Amino acid sequence: MPLYVLQRLGLMLVTLFAIVTLTFFLMHAVPGGPFVSERMLAPEIEAALNAKFGLSDPIWVQYLNYLRSIMMFDLGPSFKYPGVSVNQMIADGLPVTLRTGLLAVICVIALGVPMGIVAALNRNKWPDTAVMMVATMGVAIPSYVIATVLLYVFALRLGWVPTFGLDDWRGYILPVLALSGFWVSFVARLSRSSLLETLDQDYMTTARAKGLKPGQVLFKHGLRNSLIPVVTVLGPVTANLLTGSFVIEQIFALPGIGRHFVLSITNRDYTAIMGITIFYAALLMVMILIVDLLYLWLDPRIKLGKQA
Amino acid sequence: MSDDTNIPPVMWEKLDRTAGAAEVITAPSLTYWQDVRRRLWANKPAVVSIAFIILLILSAIFGPMLSPFSYYEQNLKLANIPPVFETYRVTDSTGAETRFFLNASNFNLYEVDNSGHIVGIIRGERKDMLKKSQAFQFGDKIVVLDYSSLPARLVAPDGAVLQPEGWQWNMTYLFGTDQLGRDVLVRQLYGARISLTVAFVATLVNFFIGIFYGGIAGYIGGKTDAVMMRIVEIISTIPLTLYVILLMVVLDSGLISIVVAIGSVFWVDMARMVRGQILMLKQQDYVAAARTMGAGTGRILTKHLLPNSIGPILVTLTMLIPSAIFIESFMSFIGLGVTPPMASWGTLTSEAVETLRAYPHQLFFPAAAISLTMFAFNFLGDGLRDALDPRMRK
Amino acid sequence: MSVPMLSVRDLRTSFFSQRGEVQAVRGVSFDVHPGEILGIVGESGSGKSITCMSILRLLKSSGRIMGGEALFDGRDLFGLDEDAMRDLRGNDIAVIFQDPMTSLNPTLTVGEQVIETILRHRKVSRAEARARAIELFELVRIPSAAKRLKSYPHEFSGGMRQRVMIAMALSCDPKLLIADEPTTALDVTIQRQILLLLKELQSRLGMAVILITHDLGVIAEVTDRIVVMYGGMVMEQGSVRDLFAHPRHPYTQGLLSSVPDLRDDTHRRLTPIPGSPPDMVHPPAGCPFAPRCIHAMNQCAQAMPPLFTTATAPALAAGQGARCWLHHAEAPAVPGVNAPALEEAV
Repeated sequence: MPLYVLQRLGLMLVTLFAIVTLTFFLMHAVPGGPFVSERMLAPEIEAALNAKFGLSDPIWVQYLNYLRSIMMFDLGPSFKYPGVSVNQMIADGLPVTLRTGLLAVICVIALGVPMGIVAALNRNKWPDTAVMMVATMGVAIPSYVIATVLLYVFALRLGWVPTFGLDDWRGYILPVLALSGFWVSFVARLSRSSLLETLDQDYMTTARAKGLKPGQVLFKHGLRNSLIPVVTVLGPVTANLLTGSFVIEQIFALPGIGRHFVLSITNRDYTAIMGITIFYAALLMVMILIVDLLYLWLDPRIKLGKQA
Repeated sequence: MSDDTNIPPVMWEKLDRTAGAAEVITAPSLTYWQDVRRRLWANKPAVVSIAFIILLILSAIFGPMLSPFSYYEQNLKLANIPPVFETYRVTDSTGAETRFFLNASNFNLYEVDNSGHIVGIIRGERKDMLKKSQAFQFGDKIVVLDYSSLPARLVAPDGAVLQPEGWQWNMTYLFGTDQLGRDVLVRQLYGARISLTVAFVATLVNFFIGIFYGGIAGYIGGKTDAVMMRIVEIISTIPLTLYVILLMVVLDSGLISIVVAIGSVFWVDMARMVRGQILMLKQQDYVAAARTMGAGTGRILTKHLLPNSIGPILVTLTMLIPSAIFIESFMSFIGLGVTPPMASWGTLTSEAVETLRAYPHQLFFPAAAISLTMFAFNFLGDGLRDALDPRMRK
Repeated sequence: MSVPMLSVRDLRTSFFSQRGEVQAVRGVSFDVHPGEILGIVGESGSGKSITCMSILRLLKSSGRIMGGEALFDGRDLFGLDEDAMRDLRGNDIAVIFQDPMTSLNPTLTVGEQVIETILRHRKVSRAEARARAIELFELVRIPSAAKRLKSYPHEFSGGMRQRVMIAMALSCDPKLLIADEPTTALDVTIQRQILLLLKELQSRLGMAVILITHDLGVIAEVTDRIVVMYGGMVMEQGSVRDLFAHPRHPYTQGLLSSVPDLRDDTHRRLTPIPGSPPDMVHPPAGCPFAPRCIHAMNQCAQAMPPLFTTATAPALAAGQGARCWLHHAEAPAVPGVNAPALEEAV
């Protein structure tokens, strides 16, 4: 088990290294290059960049310098805003993004899983049909469409919730719903099919043949096994919730990292794009690692480290 | 348990098997693909989806050709016209009738002929900014548009409020116009062209990279496989949407860039799936049989392995298309998609969001188009999966 | 003979699929007496497993019991409510399934899976249940029983897993044990061990066993009586001795001649039964075996034969029954079926 965790951490570092490298060279492949001064940089930024990356140095020296500063958790100054560091931008947006993201994950688990269970237990009856209809819609309709429709109906027309900002709890409702809509549906479909598959397993027949009560059969034997695939997708789900927040934060004007990222893209703030990408990647990989460890605990078959 | 009824002696003769008694009881046997087709046709959502997709492709190809408008032609005088409106009618003293409608969001009046075609904007007198009203002259009759309180009212000189005649569908612009006065329908169809092209081409690129990579890893196996799959593992932990975004930043917006960006990033699942299939099929006896008969690697790969893994590949492909459509629209939405005046469903949605408060209906068509298409591909994918492998049915 | 412990009468079970009603079991009747091992033999799809799952009312959702009754200790199992039935399962009637790989829950320790059964049916503390589980593991000869309770199923070999299944089944001293192909998924050497263990435990604990199998070797080794099933019906039944020595149904004969016998030095050719089992959506009107039977007559294709007994069919031994028109009084003589075979006559 500790070996497995070490292995995973090692792989994570390799991946991060690959990401930093890829991102760095991709950004340097931008026509003209990100650090070219003909882009009319403010003099103080140019000075800061020069100090940071040594723009006149050959590219591999710049790369090594960048690597070094990354290792010290320093993502450098913003390319567009004088005196603002990328670290500051992230620190600024992180609470909002994490809060909405976390709420969305909770929403996915607390809504998606029960929906799937209800559907599976009522297979081909009306609750199943209803859940599957909602879930199919949720999977098919893009999140930004859901977001704008929600915004229009509940904020603009009905005025039940504010159209933007997070001044009180009601401000979170629409962004979290829009953010989690797809994944609630996805998890509902997944847990439904997974539970149906589990219900069909021989050991479920064994459990019933032992005379166990339906509740015992379902919760002790059925759910744990059928939730394993659900847990495995939670890693990617978290990742996607965070990238999904680019659009949602944009639509609801939330001051999160996603909004900073989209703004950096429109402004071509290359150091910010680079820094936020790397930060995102690191954050996601940590999330995925946590989820995988959870999975390890759920499914004892993997404990021997046979599977990675 | 004795049977006392008399049984005629003929019954004790040997059963005549030439009558085909044995054949009757066997159910008609179908080949695998016949069976797949039968199951797919029995799945109604899948069949409707196929019809929808074919219709969509046809209208994306031919629709823009049939339209009198082009996707880039602007007419600012006729901007933000809705697809349906309530018409009013004013008759002056000479008996000349004018039919028109009021755009309640920009307080303009537009003349409409009796069949519902837009004639043009009606020029009014100077707007009275204080009283929030504007007078319009119809022959010798004057109607005042009063928008000091909402909803805006049309008031005749005698003080009577004009009542609408009823709803009329916009026959000139079936889906209305956007904020630059472009025909929404033709932009919609043009957007379908772009979105579908991106989706199909990107999926094909993914498909070829995936098949190539996964096929090689699975077929060669051993160390090569281990290294190749480790690379896939690393790639799959990278948040791919981020890389599509980065690539778009590097390549600059445009149709080709987006195809390249999506195509070069999302092949990992396909590669994994193909490898898994090939590893599984490699164990099968008929591959060993082909090998003992001296078939070469290429022949085994193309004649034996790929045709047998075509089912899961097809399903993965069908599922890749909607996600490509989605990512394209996502990119367009955050401003990294195709460049104006080109349109895709994503840019159309994002343009519609800009005018959401005043003209919410503009969001309807692109949102509906993209959602219905996603529905169709999802249903088709589910249907295909069920039809190809009934055991996978859930 | 004693009063039967389980008496199944005219059981009919169907499954409902897209193709229509699959009549898996069509009027099966048999008895199980206390302390005996009854073998049910048949090809896959003959309805033997469905019969037993019907008795326990553990059919998959698409299956339904269409008629008949199953009296267990005088109680009609099909008339009990679900609660009473649950109290019975794992307690009075226990089951062992074919595949120990899939029949144990992979995410729970084997100990937990045995203990929960005991706790369900006995008013004992967890510690007592644990002690009982260790006892059971020792009974089925799982080495270092106490330690193994904490293991997960995937840490066991197939044979050991089947021992766990047996321990689990025996945990509440069932009166009847249904073993559904308990050795099919195991290696040949392990098969014999498990079979002998079952036989030994049966005689030690004095329970009745229904052993479902398609393996005649297994049947010959451990059972007292046999029911031969085909096409969802009982084709022939009787004591092991009678059925192996002089089978009176062409299907049983076919089954026996398709099995190699190492003691046989006559270099007899093995004869497989040609053809395949009937389609149970449209079962044939007459004898289900008629299309594959070498003796088939017009009568066989037309009408379903009753189960003949020694009362009207002199070729049958006492307690033997055969569902074949050849045992009708007017049927033509066929050596080996309703008339003495050549070697028997000698």
